[in-house]
Amino acid sequence: MTDAPTVGFPEGELGPVVRQTVTDFEQWVFVTFHQLSHYVRTNRFYGLLAFVVLIAGLTLAFEVDAGIATVRVQQLFRPSEYLSNYLVYTGLFVVLSAAFFGGDALSVDFSTGTGYYMLVLPIRRPVLLAGRYAAAALVTMAIVGVYYVFGTVGAVYFFGAGSIPWTLLEASYAIAAVFTLAALSVAFCISAFVRSPAAGVLVTVLALYVGFATLQGTIELAGFEPWFSLSYAGGAMAAVLDTDFVHLQTVPLGEDQYYTIWSATVSEGLEIMAGYVAVFLPLSAYLYQRKESTG
Amino acid sequence: MGSFELAGVSKSFRTGPPALTDISFRYEGAGAVGYLGPNGAGKTTTLKLLVGLLRPSAGHAYVNGVDPMVDRKQALWDVGALIETPEPYPTLNVLEALDAVGRARGLNRDDIDREVDRCHALLDLPPLGQRVGWLSKGQLQRVALASALMGNPSVLLLDEPTSGLDPAERVLVRRTLNQLKRDHLVFMSSHQMFEVSEVCDQLVFLDHGRVLLRDRVDRVAGRIRSREVDVEFDRRVDPAAMSGVRAVAADLSALSERRWRISFDGSDATRVRLLAACQSVAPVVQFANTSLLLEEAYLELIPRPAEDS
Repeated sequence: MTDAPTVGFPEGELGPVVRQTVTDFEQWVFVTFHQLSHYVRTNRFYGLLAFVVLIAGLTLAFEVDAGIATVRVQQLFRPSEYLSNYLVYTGLFVVLSAAFFGGDALSVDFSTGTGYYMLVLPIRRPVLLAGRYAAAALVTMAIVGVYYVFGTVGAVYFFGAGSIPWTLLEASYAIAAVFTLAALSVAFCISAFVRSPAAGVLVTVLALYVGFATLQGTIELAGFEPWFSLSYAGGAMAAVLDTDFVHLQTVPLGEDQYYTIWSATVSEGLEIMAGYVAVFLPLSAYLYQRKESTG
Repeated sequence: MGSFELAGVSKSFRTGPPALTDISFRYEGAGAVGYLGPNGAGKTTTLKLLVGLLRPSAGHAYVNGVDPMVDRKQALWDVGALIETPEPYPTLNVLEALDAVGRARGLNRDDIDREVDRCHALLDLPPLGQRVGWLSKGQLQRVALASALMGNPSVLLLDEPTSGLDPAERVLVRRTLNQLKRDHLVFMSSHQMFEVSEVCDQLVFLDHGRVLLRDRVDRVAGRIRSREVDVEFDRRVDPAAMSGVRAVAADLSALSERRWRISFDGSDATRVRLLAACQSVAPVVQFANTSLLLEEAYLELIPRPAEDS
């Protein structure tokens, strides 16, 4: 630190400024916090949260209306079965959140003035990406967490707190976190490709929700296991809670005709998700690093 | 002291002619360098290359001796940049937007507060609690300029820093830049000749991606001999009374009852004779070139579109 006053500024308004070396990790933490502060104030965050609360609340309301006895019979008297069925929309909410918060996470730097603010700072682009990725993951997990809270409240109401399979529930939430990372990796990659933020969000939703589901169905019809599909891997979130889990189901369609349905095991699902993170996240970083502000 | 350098830099995009062709110059120390040229000349492209927003097709750009394509963090560590229209996240308030910049540049909490206060005093920032999304264009531009100044970086790269500002804000920014250039290296593109002549010590003229001229402002202005002056008398002057002036001038026209515009050959000798002739008509209140010398230099160097074809 120097005692010499800096020349050229109104006296008393500027003293020597100490600028410390900032590690990439410290910058990552601040970028995550900065991004998180932005995300939780956006209309898309409140909109998605309202959507999740609406779906979760309505589902719960209908079940309460049906009565405890009916729900218990429907769910084979198993709270894990109830949770597995109740949390069936987790994948949808993760995909929507990944699209909303990841679909334009990088393209925003090349289509709006945000890039001229953030990309001229002394921060490496992979650090920026990692901060935004972490913030998007945290927001998504918060939204999914609300859904899980509704599910847990329902399970406690119908089956009692003592019978809740807490470990399995935690495992399901942890798998949802991994699924979130995989979905965000794809979303970030799309975002690094496209220039328009709106296009990034739309393409992410189409790819993750419609594209994978269609592909999975087609491949299953052809009699193959869709082991490469992220939506297939997402089944592990419910599979971990499903006490009657079956990896392979054969459904008769007619005379000598069968339709085979595969469900990902927990380990298989996690492997697929990890594969998506391993491929798409570095690809996103590479594309983001090379992208130019030509606008 | 900071420095920036372009070493044989060319930049081409997928379509269109090259944006920059073999640009080389280097500045270091303190002072202000004006970057002048018509729209599309390559000014913003140059600034983007210096901060690593674009990759050179050939050559290298360096800031403080570091190529941003090689080590962006190190290159931009001591650089404040205002390129195009920077927009912090609209959901954040002014303080949060500046805080982010301070943290990225390694300032501690106390220094961030002091820097925000300094920028507030220098640039008359909008209320710090106001959301960025609600700021006017001028307010946003001042916040963007403040973000470039946060942490007191030694090099300031400014792309039309007074764009979108009202006259009072322009004066404020010019005053700030004049203070800053005493111990910072300022590289600014601008279309405002008055602003450049007020702030800059050195000039680079650019057109069609090529450097046409690099020199000190006073030398560039010294090359130009204005061929037109406006004279204002302290009273109404009849056209008939101007016959003595007309004899020296090439052309003469009345702008008002007291003001006249006189064209002449631009030489100092004729200028002296014109002034004497005017003073013999009536007391002269004002006798001045009709335009900035710098503006005339610009027009002389860079052909207007009609002449271009």
